[in-house]
Amino acid sequence: MKLTMKLALYLFAPLAFGLLSGCERPPIETVQTGYRGTAMEQIYNPRTLLKQASLNQAPEAAEAASTDGPRAKEVYQNVQVLGDLSVAQFNRHMAAITQWVAPDAGCAYCHNVANFAEDAKYTKIVARRMIQMTQRVNQDWKTHVAETGVTCYTCHRGNNIPTNVWFAPKDRKYANSIMGDLAGQNNATQTVGLTSLPYDPFTPYLKDAAAIRVNGHEAMAGIGNYSNRASTKQAEHTYSLMVHMSESLGVNCTYCHNTRNFQGWEESRPQRVTAWYGIRMARDLNNDYMEPLTKTFPEHRLGPKGDVAKVNCTTCHQGAYKPLYGAAMAKDYPELQTLAKP
Amino acid sequence: MSMLSFERKYRVRGGTLFGGDLFDFWVGPFYVGFFGITTIFFAALGTMMILWGAAMGPTWNLWQISIAPPDISYGLRFAPMMEGGLWQIITICAIGAFVSWALREVEIARKLGMGLHVPVAFGMAILAYVSLQVIRPVLMGAWGHAFPYGIYSHLDWVSNTAYQYLHFHYNPWHMIAVTLFFAATLALSMHGGLVLSAINPGKGEVVKTPEHEDTFFRDLIGYSVGTLGIHRLGLFLALAGVWFGIVCIVVSGPFWTGAWPEWWGWWLNMPIWRT
Amino acid sequence: MAQYQNLFTSVQPVGPTHHGVDLPRDDDKRTGTPFLLHLLGRIGNAQIGPVYLGSLGVASLVFGIAAFNIIGFNMLASVDWNPIQLLRQLFWLALEPPAPAYGLGIPPLAQGGWWLIVGFMLTVSILLWWARTYRRARQLGLGTHVAWAFAAAIWLYLVCGFFRPIMMGSWSEAVPFGVFPHLDWVSALSLRHGNLFYNPFHALSIVFLYGSVLLFAMHGATILAVTRYGGEREIEQIVDRGTASERAALFWRWTMGFNATMESVHRWAWWFAVLSPLVGGIGILLTGPVVDNWYLWSMKHHVVPAYPLSHPVVIDPAILGAKP
Repeated sequence: MKLTMKLALYLFAPLAFGLLSGCERPPIETVQTGYRGTAMEQIYNPRTLLKQASLNQAPEAAEAASTDGPRAKEVYQNVQVLGDLSVAQFNRHMAAITQWVAPDAGCAYCHNVANFAEDAKYTKIVARRMIQMTQRVNQDWKTHVAETGVTCYTCHRGNNIPTNVWFAPKDRKYANSIMGDLAGQNNATQTVGLTSLPYDPFTPYLKDAAAIRVNGHEAMAGIGNYSNRASTKQAEHTYSLMVHMSESLGVNCTYCHNTRNFQGWEESRPQRVTAWYGIRMARDLNNDYMEPLTKTFPEHRLGPKGDVAKVNCTTCHQGAYKPLYGAAMAKDYPELQTLAKP
Repeated sequence: MSMLSFERKYRVRGGTLFGGDLFDFWVGPFYVGFFGITTIFFAALGTMMILWGAAMGPTWNLWQISIAPPDISYGLRFAPMMEGGLWQIITICAIGAFVSWALREVEIARKLGMGLHVPVAFGMAILAYVSLQVIRPVLMGAWGHAFPYGIYSHLDWVSNTAYQYLHFHYNPWHMIAVTLFFAATLALSMHGGLVLSAINPGKGEVVKTPEHEDTFFRDLIGYSVGTLGIHRLGLFLALAGVWFGIVCIVVSGPFWTGAWPEWWGWWLNMPIWRT
Repeated sequence: MAQYQNLFTSVQPVGPTHHGVDLPRDDDKRTGTPFLLHLLGRIGNAQIGPVYLGSLGVASLVFGIAAFNIIGFNMLASVDWNPIQLLRQLFWLALEPPAPAYGLGIPPLAQGGWWLIVGFMLTVSILLWWARTYRRARQLGLGTHVAWAFAAAIWLYLVCGFFRPIMMGSWSEAVPFGVFPHLDWVSALSLRHGNLFYNPFHALSIVFLYGSVLLFAMHGATILAVTRYGGEREIEQIVDRGTASERAALFWRWTMGFNATMESVHRWAWWFAVLSPLVGGIGILLTGPVVDNWYLWSMKHHVVPAYPLSHPVVIDPAILGAKP
């Protein structure tokens, strides 16, 4: 008997360890977001949340610069955006950008330090467009970012390239063989939260404007104009986008939906409207700002298929329901809040 | 009377856990016992509470009636009656009634000289109910996490609870529980079918023997678990299914707050093969 | 109260192995020498084998193993023929049905063709196995109840993989072969059709599923509780009711006011277990071809409970003609 006990122990102990190793512990925190008993709630591990909060802090803003004196474009050469700022404001902004995007490389990341006006480095071209992109978000996408807005830091967080950008996925090595077609899914990938759902929800929904909705408005299956022709497979694609959105914000499906009726706006929370605009905003940024920059970036900055880095929800949110947990950075940088008049 | 032809000789005194001879009698076919009294008490009180809750609610439509637990903000305290307190009383009555029923089954089994397997098995089901409505809410800090009493509303709770974890199918304990449930149903169909096929062999055939039963499954799959074994197997599959169901939901929330697919990261990221 | 519960057999009598009831002349001989496994004997019969390998069985295995291998090799190919990655990603891998664009046509081999071949071979294998369960029963002079129970499961399998995709006009609606992928299919079907919990056939099927689990717990426990009176000898007890059946019946009669007999309990069992896939299959078949959205269907039929709103009214931004 002792031997079998030993054997059982040696067999089950590592199994138990494996199964338990992915575990957390009480106490946990919950936020109710629906009527009582409907189980619409957000669940947080306070220890994880504490750590995440410390990783998502906004840096201190420098003291506001004086608006007096000549305009930056009068003093410096080749100032195409932000030219209407005072020199002090302009320099403050440049200092901020350096801190947000290239704290190690410093000014030399974008500039030829012998001739700041020169457009020698691609990074300067890109940065110029990025400033416009930031202004666009803050001015025209208030439906998503409200008055909180964004700055370069929201995405970059002190990195040259934001830690969460996406490229079109690489084909597998033997993609042309007669066996083993992945059909765009059935691989264990982090982009879709380790599910086997389609692993590229970004190209169809955050670059192209493919239809996300798969539910109809009629109870019965119909023919003609009223029939809902979406397939079950299409629902998987939408699901993979939703998994991405949930994980990006560190929330679950009930943050926006009452899952008994996913499509019904009357049973959804206001956050769903914000998310709807967020999707449109991501498309706008990817198509109008990132895509046109493809030729500007060097080879090593492009994806395996030669496409430019693009934004998705994680790029800004990075696991927080509001980027930087709602810290309002943009208010300290009024120059980022409106697109300059041409 | 409501007695079967052979029943009279079995109606003897004894087997009671509590109360001695006081409640050791039958009403029609039902055995009463002390726990029969407590069952009636809790069941009647609980039912009246449910009816009161329905009367206070917006509808008498059987499918739409719902008695909801308190808001999470009440934590583990007693809530006002119309704000979830009624739900709390009903839950207490339910537990009282279920435990009474199980103890009554113990008395009946003892009186009939039977093993206690049935009330023990029922205990697993009671554990499932208590885990969902008491243990897990306590671990999560509020009664509001429990499911409401309503035919469709309790399904809304299931749907939303599952989607709190983005894709509940990836919960490994849930996968095991579902597998065991399906296996139990498969085994039940096989057992029911096998016994009936021996007793009802078709036109012109005589009733068959356990050797025929064993031979059928040995011919089919090379193994027959046998007449005793199938009952152990069935009981095991059913109870193990419920057990893993309990594990899968108690873990969801208190011991895992993220998306269930993410749990599989430990497997995918093992140093020997991580990509 | 130290009482033997008869959960595990503590003393195993070891005798000659049983070579099976004689088969009719037209059957083959059985295969394999039966042997005993002591550990198995602690739970049920210790004997393994012999098995009957007839033409139906062998044919079924040929088709089944071929299907299994095609699935496996496609999975291996999908991880670029890396066996370590096959093991690592096994639960995520799949053989996918064709994309929606192919409708019911025959797609290229790599884009769903293999799935069609596997689907066909697996179905043939299952149907051949069904025929085997029928034939083995008949050859032993037994009723065919096991075969007809199996038919209910086959019904559900065919609904999911064959009938419903045909009625929807697209093989893409069928289930992929893969552990997690087939679970994704389950979720996607529910998401697409307005939450399957509101499908009354689905609800009824679950009633029978949980009911089956309940019934087997009840029946298994009851028999174990009366094994001291020979309760597990069910055939004997049915034709000649003994004290085991009497006590078992009275236990339930006294508990809940009614009872089954030693035979009829097996009818309860058979029907509950069979009705789960039977009714479930009907529910799946209706989902899509007949009903597009079960939540809206349930609204129409006044069964959806209403909850007070916990937030301001939300309006679909798309219908607002909203532009950034």
